[in-house]
Amino acid sequence: MTTADRVPAALPAGLRERVMTASLLAREAGQPVPPVPAISGAEAFGRAADAFYGLLAGLDEQDWARPVLRDLDVQGLTGHLIGVEEDMQRGLAGDPAVAGADHVESTQDWAVRQAGRSPALTMRDWRRAADRTLAEARTAEAGARPGAGARVGTDDARDSRIAMHGIRLPLDDLLVVRAFELWVHENDIRRCAGLVPSVPDPPVLRLMSDLAVRMLPYAAARTGLRERVDVHLVLTGPGGGTWDVTVGQQPDDLGPGEQGPGQDVAIVTDAVGFCRLAANRTTPAELGPHVTGNAGRAAEVLAATSTLALD
Amino acid sequence: MPMGHCLAAGSQASVRGVEGSDALLAARLAAGDERALAEAFDRLASSVYSGALRVLGNGSAAQDVVQDVFVELWSHPGRYDPGAGSLRTYLIVLARHRAVDLLRSELRRVARQERHHRLTPPEPPGTASDEVMAAETASVVRAAVQLLPDGQRRVVELAYFEGLTCREVASTMGIPEGTAKSRLRLAMSKLESVLDRQLLEST
Repeated sequence: MTTADRVPAALPAGLRERVMTASLLAREAGQPVPPVPAISGAEAFGRAADAFYGLLAGLDEQDWARPVLRDLDVQGLTGHLIGVEEDMQRGLAGDPAVAGADHVESTQDWAVRQAGRSPALTMRDWRRAADRTLAEARTAEAGARPGAGARVGTDDARDSRIAMHGIRLPLDDLLVVRAFELWVHENDIRRCAGLVPSVPDPPVLRLMSDLAVRMLPYAAARTGLRERVDVHLVLTGPGGGTWDVTVGQQPDDLGPGEQGPGQDVAIVTDAVGFCRLAANRTTPAELGPHVTGNAGRAAEVLAATSTLALD
Repeated sequence: MPMGHCLAAGSQASVRGVEGSDALLAARLAAGDERALAEAFDRLASSVYSGALRVLGNGSAAQDVVQDVFVELWSHPGRYDPGAGSLRTYLIVLARHRAVDLLRSELRRVARQERHHRLTPPEPPGTASDEVMAAETASVVRAAVQLLPDGQRRVVELAYFEGLTCREVASTMGIPEGTAKSRLRLAMSKLESVLDRQLLEST
């Protein structure tokens, strides 16, 4: 008998269920392998700041004058980020003035102010501002912020929300947003300087991916996606993972039991590309995800992801 | 390069760069996508089971092999290298190793059972299905032993089925102890090869 003649034996009843159960006992679904160490938002921000500073330190004089984003050159963008750190520190102190301030407008003075200065001074000022943010964030994270009303090391301290530039998030999440921003701008500069792009290390990327996924329902609601879509999102590569998230929930007047079944969509793409999409630095078409289920709904979900604008 | 980021050129994570469904499946397994595991099972479990069944001659043992193989794939998806071959081949080779390991254990078990039967009175028979499965397994092992050259077959029979030490085997056969040991090693190697070939033919 040749191999082609052989007909595979029929699988015994129950074997599939037995194998799936044993497998999921050996390793929980959703968790990537190799496992990614958990880090705090402050740690993620610190790593992103180190990477950004490392890039700035390696630029030459002409790189600082390259147009990079909006009407800003590299030095102006760095100035903008000094302004963001200043506002972050005001947000940490509970200053209501920065809660609704516009991200660009509020920092424009800092960007303009860098013109004519030595790039070394701009770089030094940004580093100091980022270090202050990190120190104050760690203090706040430990619950030691004066007037915070939260006990040291408690969940209350970690979950206290900080408002700045139109967003209001728990401190840990806000620090991940800030890590996202630094990584995106680092790569804006890399692109204009003709340098190879960078990717966050897996623990940072995992936090960024998770944050973008958790914000996806809000983005979908903002873009008008009303029909319920159950998204099975698989982000591959180090720092990725698997998430199941529902977007486009039906109106609130329907109870959970009254909501009809949603469209089931599975999207597979790499974690770095997904984060670039969430930063509006690539398009769904460029991302080239593998989609199963309703392609139209998947396109809407990806379009909503790009509106997160996590830069 | 400061801690935190590495250059994108060092990342091979992009799905866009993935060629073929096996590599994509492997990337999904690594990301913890349980649907990828279900897809791998639906596509390949039948081949893995058939191969294991032909070697082991025992449905229950073949199911154990299938479970071991897919738990291994799910727990350590990075051990599969899509560049080295198809997922099907990888799983079948994995199944072969597991099946051979099981057969080695079975060979020892049969030998122990033979010795036990010689020393104790017969026990009441087990269930019909137990007896059928045990007989199937024993027959596979015994058939493989029968394929050995006379000298090596006799050494295996004396050492495993009659429980003699190498010194006793040597004395019984009138050969030096070193020769008995080397024949036993050769015989075991051939047995594994024969059992491997059975699996390869089955796949």
